Amino acid sequence: MHISMNELKSALQRCFQASEYFVGNYEDASNMVLWLEKHGLDGLQELLNALPYIKIDSDKPLSTVIYEDKTSAVINSHGRSALNCIAAAVDLAHAKALETGIATITVHNCHNRKFILKALTDCGRRGISVVAYWKNQGSSVTEHTAAIKANARYPSYSQALTNLHTDGDDLQSLTIVCSSRVDLTSSLQNSYGNRKAYHISARQVEENKTQSVNQGIDITEALWEDINRIGAGILVENSLLSSLGAG
Amino acid sequence: MTTSATIRAALRGSNALPLRSPDLVMNLERLGSMHQSRLSFMRILVRRIMRERWQISASLVDLDHEGYGTFVYRIKASHGVFSFVIFSNYLSSDERNDRVIATKWDLTMALVEGEVDSVYLERLRQNVPKQEAGRVDSRVFVLSRANRSARNFDYVVDQLASGKQPDIEKITDIGYLYRTTAVYGSGKLGMADWEKVKHNWPDFERPFSAEMFVCFMIRNFSLFQAEHIAQHKSATTFTPMDVNIKRYFGIGNSTGLGMAPYLVNHPVLINQWITMRELGLARVRTLGYIDHRVQRHFEELLSRCIQHTQETKTEDEWQTQNNLQVVKELSALQSSEHQQVSSWDSLMSWSEAHCSLQTQELLVSILLELYPELVDDLEDHHCEEEFLDLDPVMPVQTLKEVIEQSYRWALDIDFTKEGAKETFWYRSEDKMEPRLGNAEKEQGKSKQMALGVGYAVRKCYDQLCAYVAENPEHTTARFMVAAPKLRGIVRRIQSMNRCMYGDIQGNLLDRNVLPMHLLRAKLAFFGVSKFDPRSKLWVRNTMYQGAPLLEDIGGTFNDDWFMPLAPKQ
Repeated sequence: MHISMNELKSALQRCFQASEYFVGNYEDASNMVLWLEKHGLDGLQELLNALPYIKIDSDKPLSTVIYEDKTSAVINSHGRSALNCIAAAVDLAHAKALETGIATITVHNCHNRKFILKALTDCGRRGISVVAYWKNQGSSVTEHTAAIKANARYPSYSQALTNLHTDGDDLQSLTIVCSSRVDLTSSLQNSYGNRKAYHISARQVEENKTQSVNQGIDITEALWEDINRIGAGILVENSLLSSLGAG
Repeated sequence: MTTSATIRAALRGSNALPLRSPDLVMNLERLGSMHQSRLSFMRILVRRIMRERWQISASLVDLDHEGYGTFVYRIKASHGVFSFVIFSNYLSSDERNDRVIATKWDLTMALVEGEVDSVYLERLRQNVPKQEAGRVDSRVFVLSRANRSARNFDYVVDQLASGKQPDIEKITDIGYLYRTTAVYGSGKLGMADWEKVKHNWPDFERPFSAEMFVCFMIRNFSLFQAEHIAQHKSATTFTPMDVNIKRYFGIGNSTGLGMAPYLVNHPVLINQWITMRELGLARVRTLGYIDHRVQRHFEELLSRCIQHTQETKTEDEWQTQNNLQVVKELSALQSSEHQQVSSWDSLMSWSEAHCSLQTQELLVSILLELYPELVDDLEDHHCEEEFLDLDPVMPVQTLKEVIEQSYRWALDIDFTKEGAKETFWYRSEDKMEPRLGNAEKEQGKSKQMALGVGYAVRKCYDQLCAYVAENPEHTTARFMVAAPKLRGIVRRIQSMNRCMYGDIQGNLLDRNVLPMHLLRAKLAFFGVSKFDPRSKLWVRNTMYQGAPLLEDIGGTFNDDWFMPLAPKQ
């Protein structure tokens, strides 16, 4: 079915609020999903992967900084979705980059890391260049990178299937490099073992957005129902008493 | 020419104009005392239509003698062609309901890009009359519905059919034939998103201009329909409505709580609207030259506002008293030495010391009216990208100082006082309608909307103070990793610190909160008049009373329909 971006954003906000995301986090999370989908980067598919787990994040510990110096930090996200923790990690990188010129943040135990692209975009718009790199385990290992230049509105994104073997720990990790002095770009090397590599330029990302703005967004009825079903958790039951509070 | 740079220079720095303080302007009750002005969205839209001479004509008239059927207007604006499609259906009086939960209406309408063919019209017919239960596509960018004023419509038709004009006194009581009960845009129900409207259709690139246009068109259709029915009722005795009486008909509007969360959830945009209004006022106070012509105009507007307020009928005791007070204070001003004004700045200072809030704000609107050359170009600056950005590098100590400085109003609220957190705002499962609940008597507080900004600031401040004591050298970004629950409010505090205005200074959780103040503030920006609170939760009002008619487009235009008066019969 066909929906507007605003409909998707509103429904996602209800969905994340009902999943006990904090004020501020549920706006971030809905913007992250919408941003990916709006820019042709499969936000709804990523959401579909995340949806079965979004309610359990409220039982997990909050992210903790396990190491920190002036130019770097290591954060443990305790298995949380990037939807509710990655914006804060990017903000920390942003702050350190402003103070020292360039900074690196490593995030461990974090899922759904592709959602970082919206946070990168916010940095670019505000004059900070960022690169992110992470790996995912499917039937084989994929690697991903995204980058945005200072004062740009759109990032680039690259993805490739690899024949890498990992010990598993780095599969839920993410590295963020952030600079207020250097314009960072990234693309995956056409190295031995990389297959089906593709790169989407910032220009293509922008063109995808134009298409979504003009046409709206397609979503499966099943996913739309799921989002709204979860979001119904914040609606209050109708009653005679409650109707007295209606305008 | 006013540019973003000149606006920035006027707001801060050595060349800044003396703006009213946020503590004064953003007070909830003062916001609820605002009036229409020449920067209101309806005024801006009508200026555009008249100056650009939009061509608006009927492209399909398929109405029976009772006025039921389909009507399509073709609108040729400066940058594009649009269609305004109306479905008029029979509605019994017991089915007529202005509440959001209604499912049937007298009129349902859609504003559509381009011209509509029969196939598309049929698709609209299958969906538009259903409103929330229907779906449309992104060619549509406004959906609306309206109900007849039971008292007025039949009366006006009967009068015209029998060759008589409507009695002025009667239409002074209710100055409309229809009331809109919802005007939807911004991507609801599958419509085009605001982003598309703004970028693709420059004729409607300003906030709510498409929605305001739809109300303008409903008003014009209502007048056409009344004449159409009257003519078919008695062709031999029918007389068209006198054009001055016709102009005095507006379109009614019922606004409930749905509008209230918008003001809290869009602080950047609200800041922009208020900043433009305050900047206009500051320009007038500083630069407004007073000569005989301006003095006479001021006197005329004072008289007009007095009469307009006297002609405003409301059953609400609170509003009645406010209106009486406005009349009393403006009359006193009219007969006092202050009428011979030496400077607008001294007049405003005098009014702040001696007049009610509603009179003070009415004087603001009058002053803006006097100087189009100082005010009108601010209309190009009502849009703003709505980013609530965290300032990650801000030291936590600075953040604390920002709260103490910009949110003193919130810190001054005693949230431990009985009733201070008794109200909660929530969405009902019934059409997701926003409602107010009492935390002492009703379930659902855990599902409340985050509209209690003042209380959120208080909680943030308390946690921040403890954090600063332990980590005085940390940045906000580091604080956010430790306290992610505060992300929303910290981001808001920092963003509002970059604005002049923005956050409404009032406790929206208080037992005695009056949401109608929020509704009135937004409606005043739209440009409505004749506020008639029906309870603390919803307000009736009139739009476009005195505005030009469709047949006036292309003719001369003096942009002088501020505070319209009943015509002489």
